This record gives sequence, structure tokens and C-alpha cells, in this order.
Amino acid sequence: MVSASPVRSTMSPDRGQDVVYRIISEARARGTTVRTAGRYTGRTIEIEGSVLRNFGGCSYMGLDRRPELTDGAAAALREYGTQLSVSRVYLQCGLYETLEAKLQQMTGRPVLVTPSTTLGHLAALPVLVREGDAVLIDQFAHASLHAATAAVRNAPVRLVRHSRMDRLEEALADLAPRHAHIWLVVDGLYSMFGDFAPFEALSRLLDRWPQLRLYIDDAHGTGWLGTHGRGGALMHLGHRREVVVALSLNKSFAAAGGALAVPDETTKNRIRLCGGPMIFSGPIQPPMLGAAVASTEVHLHPSHAQAQAELLSRIDYALECADAAGVPLATHRTPIFFVPCDSTDEMNDRARALHRDGFWVCPSAFPAVPINRPGIRFTVTMHNEREDIEALVAALARCMAS
Amino acid sequence: MFDERLALLGGALDAMYEVISFSEGSEPDWERMAHVFLPDARLTRITPEAVDSYDLASFRTMASEMLEKGVYTAFHEAEVARKADVCGAVAHVLSAYETKTRPGATTCLSRGVNSVQLLWDRGRWRVLSLFWDETPDGQKVDVAATFANGVRHGQR
Repeated sequence: MVSASPVRSTMSPDRGQDVVYRIISEARARGTTVRTAGRYTGRTIEIEGSVLRNFGGCSYMGLDRRPELTDGAAAALREYGTQLSVSRVYLQCGLYETLEAKLQQMTGRPVLVTPSTTLGHLAALPVLVREGDAVLIDQFAHASLHAATAAVRNAPVRLVRHSRMDRLEEALADLAPRHAHIWLVVDGLYSMFGDFAPFEALSRLLDRWPQLRLYIDDAHGTGWLGTHGRGGALMHLGHRREVVVALSLNKSFAAAGGALAVPDETTKNRIRLCGGPMIFSGPIQPPMLGAAVASTEVHLHPSHAQAQAELLSRIDYALECADAAGVPLATHRTPIFFVPCDSTDEMNDRARALHRDGFWVCPSAFPAVPINRPGIRFTVTMHNEREDIEALVAALARCMAS
Repeated sequence: MFDERLALLGGALDAMYEVISFSEGSEPDWERMAHVFLPDARLTRITPEAVDSYDLASFRTMASEMLEKGVYTAFHEAEVARKADVCGAVAHVLSAYETKTRPGATTCLSRGVNSVQLLWDRGRWRVLSLFWDETPDGQKVDVAATFANGVRHGQR
């Protein structure tokens, strides 16, 4: 006997939250989400008693166990303590100035460091988007961007289909006559399926539509790609004044916080002084500022380009192994791989089989991906040796054949 | 006349599944849906959170919003078994379905039963009501037992 609850709006926020709660709770009950890690070496991670080879993290350049970073954190801890508990609008730790100067060297642009990439979006977008503007956001843009565009109160926000240039053109043609600027909000590298924003097509769009502005979250492109790790967005569009790029100081950068690479000092100061989280949120703790400064030095060192080339060769190796084993993968040349599954049951079965074989990967279902596109997401980082990659692909091939 | 109507029922149900299904980058065939369903048709679903009831316009609004948000990027649903009763211009069908990520998928995203009422309208069947249950109970369908005397289509 089915007992149905009363009718409520399909689109209400409460209803959406109920659906997400149910789905993640079910996955948690099956033991595939909300787990707890123990000892972490980079190459391996202990999860609830099992030491697994780590194919689930985003530390693409493997910097999180580098002595330069841990020493940088320890030195800052000794110098400044665990925190400087005051808003940056009053007073900031001196490491911020060092960090922003080095990030400017890395990116070739003025940079504002933010408490996190998410809080960076929340600081920047409501400041950048002015009355009379409009916002377009890619449907697959990171959840933090959707949250930040929801905080934009002075302009209409419209969703556009993922990387569909034809739909973008239609939306621009519709909005351009009525709006001063149209902000297009996208990811530089999409975190689930590992596809890049269509940078060249976006550049051509900027040429054709003078009102167009781009806000790009390149959190997953930071560090492992581009000169000094400035990421794909700045590599392709860094010379365009119409473009603002958000970087992550976590993930590949292996420290904490976010960074906004903006076209000029005026924009930086405007966000610094008016962006809500820049005034009301706490700063990055000094130890992690120390780690971030040390990470910029790693990125600015000539050897970083060789390390990036080595990561690319491991990515290529994973693609070759998968091709040889007949494992279908996303074909983009990025550290993010996705193995499509036909159902969430199949996804969970495969994730559990890989766990038993000694690998940690991320089963990915709605709301992280569309309901009809469940799968296994795994990453290839500098922590993974070639033998690890071979073993993972062999295990994937086994569980797909069974 | 009865045999003719019964024979045409399968085509009407096939059309119903075709219009609600769509491939990557596309969307349901809204124009054809207005032809397959009656103008006063209702679509009702039970989910663990609530019961939703739509007319064609509000169903389109709901589905379009899910498409815009990327909740679905494709949808493939097909009938696997059917039990039908026809009485004059009235047909009531229990239609077991499977929803898949792609037509050739070996496992399905979900399965359940659509309760479909159709009306014989000027020489063809049109859908008056489509009613289904997305709760775990509604997905536990013993197709073999429920449809022992019905039409079986095998796993598609």
C-alpha cells in the first residue's frame, strides 16, 4: 500500500531538498557516499579500515604531500599562530600580500585571494553584475556558481544548455537589445565529465557580441594546465578584458582558498571592498596561507612545466590502457575520467567491486550528474604510478565484463 | 470493430512512449504529444515526496524546467508488458515499462507500471490519463506474475 504525502509544487526548493536528501541517504545506506578517511599518503587512502589506491581526489599535481608546502604551513603556523581572527576589511595577515603578488606573477593579472572559490563567486558576481545587465549560466556550471548567480538580485538569470553555442547565440540575440552587459557564467573544466568550456568558440562569441562578459570557474583547471598552472581559461582567454576567472587554491594547488584573476586593479578593489564574503567571512588561516605561498613558488619554478608534462603523459597512459582494455572513457585529455553506467545499481556494484579490488573511485549519480547519466568518476593525479593506472583499468575491465 | 480497436491500441501506446522519450540534446516531441494525448489529459505521478498531477501544459512546464536544469539530458522509456481491457470507446491498460539511459542498455534506471486510460476518438485511441508510481513500492513490479495473461515485449 502506497501512502503518498500531500501534493506540493514540483519545483519548490523544499521539494528539491527532499529529493536530494532521499537520494544521498539511499547512497549512504549502500555504503558508497558520506564515508570517513583515515591515513592519507596521496597514493593511498585508508577508508574505514581498507587501504585503497587513491583515484578519487583532485590533487592533480600531487602537491599535498610536498615538503615545500608542509614546511610553508609549519613556518606560517609558528609565525602567525592558528588564525588571525579579524575580517580582512579591517586587517589582513601579511601573507595575503605575498600570495596575491605571486599569483599575479603566475597568472599575468591582478589577483584577489578569497576565503574559498565558492565565497569568491559570492563576492564577485553580485559586484560584477550591475543593474541593467543579464546573466546566462551553463546548466552544468558548478553548484557554487548557481548559488552565486541566485545571489544576483539586480539582473535576470537564465539557464542555457551545456556548451550549446547555438542556444547561446539565440539567448544573446534575445538579451542584447535590452541589456548593457550579458554575463555568461561557465566552468573552465567541468568537474564530473571532464570536458573543457569551448574556449575558442567563446572567444569568437566575444568578438561578435561586445556586450558579452565571461565569468569562468576554472577551479579544476588550476595548477595542472597552462603556464605556471594558470589554467585553461587564462591560457585561452587571459588576454581578454571581458573575462574574469576564478581559480582554486585547493585541489591541484593543495592549499586553501580561492583566487579571482581580474582584468584590472579597479575591479579587484571593487570586489575587495564590496563583495559580501570579503567583508563578513573569515580569512584563510595563516598556516594554509603559508602553504599557498609555498605552492605559488612551486608553480613559478621552471620544473613545474616538466611535472605538468608528466601528468599529461599519465593521463595519456590511462587513455591508452582503457582503449586497449575496451573500457569506454570520456575522451577529453584531462585528469577527470568518467565511465558511464546504465543504472545507479550498476554504478554501485562497480564501485563496490573496485573497492574490494583496492581502489577508491567516486560513484556519481544525481544530483552530481543528470539522472540518466550515472557513472564512475575517477581521477589520474601525480600520486598515481603507471602500475596503479594499469591495475585500475584492469579492475574496471573485469567489473564491466562481469 | 472490437478487434480493430484492440489492434490499434498497441500503436497508440507505442506513440505515447515515443513522445515522452528523447535522445541527448533533444526534448520530448511536444507537438506530437498534443496529438497522442487528449486536450484534457492528465498525467499523475506518485513520488516519495508528493503526488503530482499535471495537464499537458503544466507537464511541459515541469519537464522543460528539468531539462533546463540538466536533471535529465535524455529519456528512454519503453513498454515491456501489457494488460489491456477494452469496453466500447474506453480502454484501460496496465503497461509495465523500463526507463533506460540508452535504448540498448543492459540494465534499467527504473521500472514500474503505467496505468493508462485511453478514449476512442474519431477512429483512433488517445490518452486521457497517464498515471504511475515512482516510489520504491511502485518500482517493485513482478512483471511475470502481474502480466501472466498479457502481452509481453521482452526486455528492450
